[in-house]
Amino acid sequence: MTSAVESLTVSISVNGQQGTHTVPARMTLAQFIRDQLGLTGTKISCELQVCGVCSVLVDGRPVSSCTFLAADADGCDVATVEGLSANGLDPLAEAFAAEFALQCGFCTPGFLMMAKALLRANPHPTREEIVDHLDGNICRCTGYEPIIEAVLAAAGGSDD
Amino acid sequence: VLPAFRLARAYTVADALAMMAEGATPYCGGTELFLAMRMGLLRPPILVDLKRVAELRGVRRAGDTVVIGAGTTHAEIVADPIVRAAAPFLVDVVRRVGNPRVRAQGTVGGNLCFAEPRSDVTTALVCLGATVTLRSAEATRTVPVENFVLGAFETERDDSELLTEVSVPASAADRFVYLKYQIQERPTVAVGMLAGEHGVRLVIGAAGECPVWTDVDSVGDIDVPAMVERLEIVEDVTGSDDYKRHVAGVYARRAIEEFSRRAA
Repeated sequence: MTSAVESLTVSISVNGQQGTHTVPARMTLAQFIRDQLGLTGTKISCELQVCGVCSVLVDGRPVSSCTFLAADADGCDVATVEGLSANGLDPLAEAFAAEFALQCGFCTPGFLMMAKALLRANPHPTREEIVDHLDGNICRCTGYEPIIEAVLAAAGGSDD
Repeated sequence: VLPAFRLARAYTVADALAMMAEGATPYCGGTELFLAMRMGLLRPPILVDLKRVAELRGVRRAGDTVVIGAGTTHAEIVADPIVRAAAPFLVDVVRRVGNPRVRAQGTVGGNLCFAEPRSDVTTALVCLGATVTLRSAEATRTVPVENFVLGAFETERDDSELLTEVSVPASAADRFVYLKYQIQERPTVAVGMLAGEHGVRLVIGAAGECPVWTDVDSVGDIDVPAMVERLEIVEDVTGSDDYKRHVAGVYARRAIEEFSRRAA
């Protein structure tokens, strides 16, 4: 057991970059990513796990980083939207552009990371599976159809 | 921004109980607690993280029972071969809880202990006749889920106790129905119906402080108006007392129709 502390040292890999950081216990993963690492692609909005803009992957699983402790990512691999352009633009992001799956772009990092989580677990999802998986993400611009089309296109594109 | 707190990590149930004796609030996925803290509703001074307690994780079969560790996430339950084979009703409900992020983090034990009245998990576990195991430093006891939830955000668990396991009677029966009316993240009304060894159980959840249930030999014996009468409705933006009672009655009748269709 560890004793109760106000801040702690954590080892977190973000988009493949391993680092050791001291974080306050109360710091959320979203604050850590944005304020401590300066990776501002991840957005913050509802802070109640409803809107999905803060979605990142922790060990491949989707997480609302607004209400997930940075301390709880200790020892984990975190993937943010910045990781999708580390080696050229990811095919999923390409598909979002091709299908006009964004307008203002605020929700896009969340949709991309949620779609990434889906395709990782299920490389060839049906339309229904995509709709179901993206149910917890809100977009006020596109009406969702282009986003679903983009994920379908990306899934089809990875067919081999 | 979350209010300030001190954080400890437990590696065993004994660790967790020791920290709780010092006033720590246990959490695992945090999908309920951190939201309540964010909204300023709760301000626990000390938290103890249970995610690293191996004893609390995983699923095993023990005779006629499926034993689910309290720290097992919703997504793990849905994917678990033992649960899929022996509790398909639970899988059908849990795969629709919240959203994929909530399912990836939230746990069955945390969901029960928070006792949010609109919990799908509670409604399903009452329908299944599941029990929970509560452990303190001194004793271990088993409580049926229907007696565990006492009201909105209120449970039978003492502050010195940790919910360690959920035991679900194994039943491969695919004769079940789970209908819910949902326009937000949580249902306004949820109705579960399951055929068991001892007849049929119908549960109306989400609408009231606690689920209301009935056991009958035959579906025709279900008295929907009497059940609706027993609901202690929680009014909120999704409906008034009158409205929720009405919708609960409609969904109960629809569930009975659907259930009867499946029997035919």
